[in-house]
Amino acid sequence: MNEPVLTVEDLHVWFELERGGELHAVQGVSFELRPGERFGLVGESGCGKTTTILALMGLLPSSASVAGRVLLDGEDVLARGEQSVSPHRWTDIAMVFQGAMNAFNPVKRIGDQIAEPMKLHGLAEGRSTRQRVGELLERVGIPAARASSYPHEFSGGMRQRAALAMALACKPRVLLADEPTTALDVMVQAQILQLLAELADDFGLSLVLVTHDLPIVAQVCERAAVMYAGEIVETGSTDSLYHDPKHPYTRLLFSATPDLYGEEDVVSIPGTPPRLDRELVGCPFAPRCDRVFEPCASIAPPLRPTGAGHAAACHLNDPVMRVAS
Amino acid sequence: MRGADYFLKRTLFALVTVFVAITLNFIIFRATPGDAVTGLRCQFCTVEFKEQLRAELGLDQSKWEQYWIYLKSLAQGDMGRSFVTREPVVDEVLEPLLNTLPMLALGTAFAIVFGIIAGVVAAWRRGTFLDWGNLSFSLLFYSLPTQWLGLMLLIVFAGTLPAAGISDPFLEFTDPSWWETFVDRLEHMILPAATIGIVLFGEYALIVRSSLLEALSEDYVLTARAKGLRNLAIVWKHAFRASLLPVATLIALSAGYLVAGAILVEAVFSYPGIGLVTYDAVAERDYPVLQGAFLILTLSVVIANYAADLLYFKLDPRIAE
Amino acid sequence: MSTIASGPGAAGAPGDPGDLPQARRRRGGVVWSIVRSRPQAAIAGNILLVTILVAIFAPFLAPYGPREKVGPPFAPPSAEFPLGLDDGGIDILSLIIYGSRVSLVVGFAAAAVAMLIGGAVGIISGYFGGKTDITLMRITDYFLVIPDVPLMIVIAAIWGRSLTNIIIIIGVIYWTGTARIIRAQVKSVRERVYIRRAQALGASDSRIIFRHVLPQVAPLLVANTVLTVAVAIFAETALAFLGLGDPSLVSWGRMIENAFVSNAISVDAWWAIAPPGIAVAVVILACTLLGTAIEDALNPRLRVGHLSVRRFRLRPVPKDAA
Repeated sequence: MNEPVLTVEDLHVWFELERGGELHAVQGVSFELRPGERFGLVGESGCGKTTTILALMGLLPSSASVAGRVLLDGEDVLARGEQSVSPHRWTDIAMVFQGAMNAFNPVKRIGDQIAEPMKLHGLAEGRSTRQRVGELLERVGIPAARASSYPHEFSGGMRQRAALAMALACKPRVLLADEPTTALDVMVQAQILQLLAELADDFGLSLVLVTHDLPIVAQVCERAAVMYAGEIVETGSTDSLYHDPKHPYTRLLFSATPDLYGEEDVVSIPGTPPRLDRELVGCPFAPRCDRVFEPCASIAPPLRPTGAGHAAACHLNDPVMRVAS
Repeated sequence: MRGADYFLKRTLFALVTVFVAITLNFIIFRATPGDAVTGLRCQFCTVEFKEQLRAELGLDQSKWEQYWIYLKSLAQGDMGRSFVTREPVVDEVLEPLLNTLPMLALGTAFAIVFGIIAGVVAAWRRGTFLDWGNLSFSLLFYSLPTQWLGLMLLIVFAGTLPAAGISDPFLEFTDPSWWETFVDRLEHMILPAATIGIVLFGEYALIVRSSLLEALSEDYVLTARAKGLRNLAIVWKHAFRASLLPVATLIALSAGYLVAGAILVEAVFSYPGIGLVTYDAVAERDYPVLQGAFLILTLSVVIANYAADLLYFKLDPRIAE
Repeated sequence: MSTIASGPGAAGAPGDPGDLPQARRRRGGVVWSIVRSRPQAAIAGNILLVTILVAIFAPFLAPYGPREKVGPPFAPPSAEFPLGLDDGGIDILSLIIYGSRVSLVVGFAAAAVAMLIGGAVGIISGYFGGKTDITLMRITDYFLVIPDVPLMIVIAAIWGRSLTNIIIIIGVIYWTGTARIIRAQVKSVRERVYIRRAQALGASDSRIIFRHVLPQVAPLLVANTVLTVAVAIFAETALAFLGLGDPSLVSWGRMIENAFVSNAISVDAWWAIAPPGIAVAVVILACTLLGTAIEDALNPRLRVGHLSVRRFRLRPVPKDAA
């Protein structure tokens, strides 16, 4: 069975701005998630990746408007807004937030907070709840006895693990991880990533990993999409993104990683991403692109396949455009 | 035992504060040019009487000796004698305190209940008219001078509610039941309590609102929502408890205001509590009573703060770490 | 960890003016720009301005003198005397206008005293830290707990009722709150890069305090002082009500006291009581609004509310998909 477990079709998100006007934060994002797949969503801060996954669970504030479809096993969970998306929260899709340190209520015990969704969705009762919480904690590498601790008594890494345990409490099928390792030091990062991969395998999860940190995408994910200015500009296997990028942004992105041996110069991309409170004309990356040419400023390139399982939104891949310029 | 350290520190702090207040009391009284007795003007204040007073108060001795005598007598519960009635200050001051406490408790209860309701509603319906209206009223009530509000309430309710005192002096003669006495007392307590409650409620509503809003913007609220909890459940189980912390602090801080408020409303309503005693003592320049009242009032505030410290400790597990 | 580097010229942390020349000029106008941009602050500021003008031009605005008997005691409001007369037959409207002088003078002067003492203690404590800090804060803590009004009453009852005394007493009681707040701010300012730079360059402490720390702390100090004015005016009315105000001067607090003592209630003379209380409430309200508006602007809290009765909305997909 290779039906995608999650399909995102043409997702748009707008935010009302206090001073009037709108911010078009997510502009027509589409991707598929197959069962057991580990999918990365990459881009710099502000490109809309966090907003995208928040939208998948309907966790947007009241200043947001959403368009598009999110299909979970064929059913559009956004069809009736909050009403249709809330039944799936945590039981089908769960999330580990950016800065999971703060995902816990400081005045309640960790164990109680992990048990909370279980009790809420009727998945455990009484003594068996405590047992299950203990098992989850052990699985993420925390002694079960620590369930009675308060969040501030855990280190950052431990809290992150506890957040993972909490996310798995209702045995979801999809796990969304938003920058799970930011603000952790390097050694702890590696452990958490490994844990994440193990859990995905053990629990049969499909994983969407959102990050701006490229090496971890390469480490954990099989496929990835690169986002820029609210759009997906390239998608494909992490291997092909690394070695054969078809979009200048992806290429510059991956070469911006400082070489460990210091043999190559660090490349940075001049300029800043475009403002999203006005409509853009042409390719959003054109002002910063090193391979920009005639059609780029006026015609927005669509996401076109460039090979098996690989697609990019760039005129450079379109022979028609290159001839016409 | 967790928090033994914290407990000890707060106890020590409370004790030192009381000591500072006692010393302050002493210094203010004895540090004036000349002494407090010289400036006294009253019908029986002849020169001989003043000399007698001076001897009695030990003003002819050195400051340090006076201080020591002062501390010793305090330790024995002796706060001197009233200039006016010549009764021991302790008697003059402690009994009225028992009248003031229930009145203040009623007022505070009123403020807490309505403050929490208004604050929660305002935070819940943030940005709407309900929020804005609540904000305006809260600020308005908070800005009214307490004594003035008392006077206005007195005018408005002059016919319906008793205007003075703590009880109907004639009630005794009708052999009242327990209930009738209770209602009578309550009737006399309501206006002064309401005055204090109204001024206090505004401040409580503002704090509850801002602390609840703060709690609602925390990440763990988003997590709770992601877990599938309904709005009401999130507010009740998560945000509310976290937002109670500043409220506990606020109750302690209010103790300072309550004391001022008590003095003012008891003067307006002639309510025989420690506030009225203070008011009369000022009018008659009855310094021993004034000092005694000041000490008792300060002690009450210190105790209230101490209780709030302990409450805070219980509510927030992060304290004392 | 690799991240995408943005272009050159990335500015320092937002809100940190550093020591750029244009920033310094802008800093001087921080309070002013806040007041201009927020309607509630502007309205409150205007109310205060009007009150101050009324106080300054009182003799020209008041129809009668503050001691001038112009009719029978407790005459009700009429066309001739819009606010009626008090127990001495004096025009209440004129009393309100003249009373603004003392009330405002006490309010502002006492707040100034509190600001000077509290600001100095806060800056010294926050800047030098260590033993000085601990000692000063201990003392501040004790005074914060001791109830303000009873202490003022005791001091005023013993030391006398002149205007100066009242101002000093109120100022000395209320410096503690300011000290704590300023200290916290100074502590955070002290850690900023340009302070360390100045220290490394050998600048003296007083120079650093006056040229770098003070300007950073000034807006908060202003906000706090405005709020203290509100408290000081309330304190004056409380002291006056207990008969501890300056007997030779008219203030709103004294008007309330006078009405009480002369039994205005028994003759239902609400006009002797209502106006001064309303005047006080308006000024306190204006100060509170202004002070909190400035404070709020200085601590921007751009927090999103995660909960709302309203939800995110749905829209149809735009036709011109990119």
